[in-house]
Amino acid sequence: MPDAALTNEPKSIVCDGNEAAAWAVSLAKPDMVAVYPITPQSSLVEYVSQFIADGKIDADLMDVEGEHSVMSVLHGACLAGARTYTATCGPGLYYMFEPYVRTPGMRLPIVMSVVTRDGLTPQSVWGGQQDAMMLRETGWIQIYCESVQEVLDSLIMAFRIAEHRDVMLPVNICHDGNYLSYGVTKVFLPEQEMVDDFLGDKDTNWHVALDPDRPMSVDPLTGGEGPGGPSTFVRYRQGHCAGMQNALRVITETHEEWERKFGRCYAPLIEEYRLDDADYAIVTIGSMSGAGKDAVDVAREQGQKVGLIRVKTFRPFPMEALRNTLTKVKAIGVVDRSVSFAWNCGPVFQEIQAALYQLKERIPAISFIGGLAGSDITGEHFARVIEATGNQLAGDMTESPVWLNENE
Amino acid sequence: MEQTKYLIAGCSHAALSALNSIRMLDQDGSLTLVTKDDHLPYSPTVLPYIVSGQSKPEKVKLRDDEFFAQNKVNFISGAGLSTLDVDNNSVTLQNGQEWQYEKLLLATGAAPAIPPIPGLTDTPYHVLRTMDDAVNLHAALESAKSAVVLGGGLIGMHAAENLIKVGVQVTIVEMRPQVLPGYFDAEAAKIIEQTFIENGVAMRIGNTVVGAAPDGEGAKVSLDSGDEITADLLLVCTGVAPVISYLEDGPVETDQGILVNDCMATNIANIWAAGDVAQAVNFYSGEKSVGGILPAAVEQGRIAGMSMINDPAINPYPGGVPLNTYGFFGNQAISVGVSDENALPKDTEVLLNVNEEEMTYQKILIGEGCLLGISGINTDFDPGIMWQLVLQRVDLEPVKEEFLSNPTDTGRDLMSRTWR
Amino acid sequence: MGHSHNTIAFHQDKCDGCGECMTVCAGAKSGTADTLHSRLKIVPSIAANDSFELALCRQCGDPKCVLNCPSGSLTKNHKTGVVPWDAEKCVDCLLCTVGCAYGGITYNAAAGHVMKCDMCDGDPACVKSCPTGALEYNRSAEIYNNYGELEDLFVPGLAACQGCNSELLIRHTMRKIGSNAVVATPPGCIAGMGTVGFNGKTGSKIPVFHPLLTNTASMLAGAKRYYNRIGRDVTMVALAGDGGTVDAGFQSLSGAAERGEQMLYICVDNEGYMNTGMQRSGSTSFGSWTSTTPVGETLHGKTQDAKNMPVIMMMHNCEYVATASLAFMDDYYEKLDKALAAAKRGMAYLHVYSPCPTGWRIPSESTNEVCRKAVETNFVTLWEFAPDEGLRFTHSTDDPLPVEEYLNLSGKYRHLDDAQLTHIENSVERKVAFLNGFMLATSDDGAESLAQ
Repeated sequence: MPDAALTNEPKSIVCDGNEAAAWAVSLAKPDMVAVYPITPQSSLVEYVSQFIADGKIDADLMDVEGEHSVMSVLHGACLAGARTYTATCGPGLYYMFEPYVRTPGMRLPIVMSVVTRDGLTPQSVWGGQQDAMMLRETGWIQIYCESVQEVLDSLIMAFRIAEHRDVMLPVNICHDGNYLSYGVTKVFLPEQEMVDDFLGDKDTNWHVALDPDRPMSVDPLTGGEGPGGPSTFVRYRQGHCAGMQNALRVITETHEEWERKFGRCYAPLIEEYRLDDADYAIVTIGSMSGAGKDAVDVAREQGQKVGLIRVKTFRPFPMEALRNTLTKVKAIGVVDRSVSFAWNCGPVFQEIQAALYQLKERIPAISFIGGLAGSDITGEHFARVIEATGNQLAGDMTESPVWLNENE
Repeated sequence: MEQTKYLIAGCSHAALSALNSIRMLDQDGSLTLVTKDDHLPYSPTVLPYIVSGQSKPEKVKLRDDEFFAQNKVNFISGAGLSTLDVDNNSVTLQNGQEWQYEKLLLATGAAPAIPPIPGLTDTPYHVLRTMDDAVNLHAALESAKSAVVLGGGLIGMHAAENLIKVGVQVTIVEMRPQVLPGYFDAEAAKIIEQTFIENGVAMRIGNTVVGAAPDGEGAKVSLDSGDEITADLLLVCTGVAPVISYLEDGPVETDQGILVNDCMATNIANIWAAGDVAQAVNFYSGEKSVGGILPAAVEQGRIAGMSMINDPAINPYPGGVPLNTYGFFGNQAISVGVSDENALPKDTEVLLNVNEEEMTYQKILIGEGCLLGISGINTDFDPGIMWQLVLQRVDLEPVKEEFLSNPTDTGRDLMSRTWR
Repeated sequence: MGHSHNTIAFHQDKCDGCGECMTVCAGAKSGTADTLHSRLKIVPSIAANDSFELALCRQCGDPKCVLNCPSGSLTKNHKTGVVPWDAEKCVDCLLCTVGCAYGGITYNAAAGHVMKCDMCDGDPACVKSCPTGALEYNRSAEIYNNYGELEDLFVPGLAACQGCNSELLIRHTMRKIGSNAVVATPPGCIAGMGTVGFNGKTGSKIPVFHPLLTNTASMLAGAKRYYNRIGRDVTMVALAGDGGTVDAGFQSLSGAAERGEQMLYICVDNEGYMNTGMQRSGSTSFGSWTSTTPVGETLHGKTQDAKNMPVIMMMHNCEYVATASLAFMDDYYEKLDKALAAAKRGMAYLHVYSPCPTGWRIPSESTNEVCRKAVETNFVTLWEFAPDEGLRFTHSTDDPLPVEEYLNLSGKYRHLDDAQLTHIENSVERKVAFLNGFMLATSDDGAESLAQ
């Protein structure tokens, strides 16, 4: 951990993704951070705790007795008006699930890192996106990062997205366990004043509060068959869906503003890599995208007209952006780092199938599943992915799913 | 025309008790209290003590302006009821004001009944029913050396005692064979009469006045025995009659007084009556009768007020029971219920203890295991508890021996166990 | 009117008829020891040997003695509650004694006047003299008045079951705490009766919310920390059931207590999941019928003892822990005050036994009697604990009534056999012995007892 003095923070540092996240938290100035350790998130909360101990972050540190209480104390604090942050993954996430699923319904703009980890069971402490993918229908916003720098930048942006009055929803910034959590690289630190200006004053409980100065009932029983029950409940659901749709616009605007202010540009929803003249493309999510892009470069050198599509915002699902992208190619291969047991494929693949249905012309697609339980997705793997995806153009179909690491 | 939700005519015990009940449930409804008297509320019972000077008029008021202000009572004195228009729910007062009410309580009390004695109208005499009467009588004592009191009822006896205490020579004339009939039997009355005689009061019991005439500043009365008594003062205390003249020819049903049911309601909607003016049911006979009993006025006023306000806790009037506490020359006579067994069935149990030397007397009447009446002179019991034993018809059989030998402690024990 | 007053209460079962009260009263009021001058009268009961009855002025709210008085010498002082007698105005007519059905104002032949109790200006001599505690100066009216003047912070018409006293508990509790508070009512009867409201309509005038069954203490802790951070002193209150406290909510409560989170946590213990149909909880007592510990051929109610939650909370770094029963409201109010003070420093935990007329199968009018009997049989013990002061009983555990007198009141114990009864008796004794041992080891009272 760098021991930088407060008065002279470095403009750039060398750190891993967990530390980068901690720096982002320090810049976003939350009022409260609740922590409970779990691999591979632990060093993140250790960094945050140390920052708070050192006075780098002026926040209440609540080191509570479990993830369930982590999210619960943030609920209380957020309802009282606090800007809040936490991080977890894997079993911790599953344990947090009860208050977790309640967060977006109360429209609490809580920001949480998911340092992704493969699911139980078999018991595993290594990376994989099974935990994050289990959160798909909880109503949280979910953004997947490719790089350590993107972890830092996205986390700061997350507070602005979450607190936007057209959104008012919690945000998960997902970064891959092992690969991003422990991957060390050089990152640039934004200036505090600029971040302050970018985020503005916190705005967390104007709409729902536990505040004696604004007494209200928070989350009364709603629904049932009584008068106004069904319609009230439907209005809550419609509002939540509208907030998710608004988020697509707000995420985009926030990334544009970020680029203007800080000079770093990210595709907010769907990133296109070497797609303009591509015949086919592979689809990636998270940290594997770097290796995927390298593999595309190699294939391009070999004359393959292949590109890469990276899903950055997975929730809300950027249907329109994805549809526009998919129309540019004639075949795809989707690489997932987790499993949809029900559909016998990867979850990203499963959802992209739904987008494909909206295209004028049907294009073939293959589901690849790799990188489970900390295993690497190498250039070699991607070469196989690119080859099989391209073969579809010639009518050579591969049966899904393809388990990339099954023989390792 | 002025409007009021509650109009109460009268301002003595029944009226104030009703006011109390109304304000229990309705603290804000407009309430107007009208009285023909010019004074703040007082009790006629206290007047003999004004006469003697033991009490001062300004000390005996039952309520004051502060009370009326606190309880939002519009108090109009010096203006009794003049007429009543039941069709319009309105009254006119003696001062000419017209008032429309939603609910009206008639608690106009009683006034002295003046017997048709030849010559009396031309003779100066006093009565004792109002504060002004008492103040006048007290003033007259300055020059008076002697007085004759017509009537051996409570007021006459009280007045006589208070007169003799300030040095006036007093004669009491009572046409009936004993004093205080209805409250005490002849034997008890004898003890009381004897005490008066011992204290210097001339008692003319069983004598009827057949004539009256002025005698200088004073008066002279002639008795059926042929005797003539002259005195500086003539005080007529021969009973009272309900004040109902304003109801003459109206639809409100009257007999001796205003006839009421067990909620003190009259036959006319929105009109109640209570106290000395009301003719309510008697506990023993079931017949309706008038009676000037203070605790009964309080009880009737309470029930009338509860009925006027539709208080769900109301219980019907159980009926009037004779009640009397009477102090004379340092002695205490108390009677609750029936005192004369001659009016009762033959199997009534009578316990009588008389000790003339000690001047004690006690009679207990029990019928069908229940207390019918208890009276005593210089003996000890709690009349309030006894009243409840009568009304609740508490079975005394299991404790009869103890009750007859010690009604006080036994009564307290029964109270504590039965309705504590 | 609308105002209550303290009274002298008579506990007949404790009176041995010694008459000391009468001697002291006569002395205080007339300077003699002659009990004829006593304003209260103890009389032997004819109905039962060695039993005594009392005649004493009740200081009636609507006194008939006052209405009967023709001279204005008797009045009702609505401030003090006393009916004073003014000797100067009295004309000795005794009509007041006709009005009193209680023997409360009586003629004192020796003095030649009536006499009555004047409550000794709020410090009655008789009460102080009573060696057995049969006379008690009951200040509950004073407390009720104080509470009555405070604002009710819940809406009218909360839908608690008939006879349930939890509504009384929460209304009075919040009257005391006031509106500068955040109230959590997790799923259970208190939320079920409508405190948080339905479909956009609230059930209270203060910030109130449904936490999850599992996270009441955590949510309150988070809100409290933030208010502390911004310098606002807001009181956090949990009104939770036993399921949300001893079972599913236990972890978050345990963590919050360990961290010293500042809140008042009130567990309203009706010994089961009553709101959802009377299922067993960790707080359900041994032998109880519930819908998941039914009574049949082979099962006869719950086969385990209840978790002793207040004792567990004593071991949790709490600033204050106490048990309460609504049959002893004065005791509860005192503990509530202490708990509120403690909640400014850390966790304050109140465990309130709250019989469920519906689920326990007791007549709705006997809830309070069940509360009382629970304490009088030691089935429930009333005590308080603070780290510096140790444990102190607020209701004696000596000479308890047989526990059957409590068990017989509830249908949920109707099926108990002798073995089950013995188990309960033993377990009650064990719990009391444990607490007594703890008391001896921790409190000054205990130290004194040990020294003796």
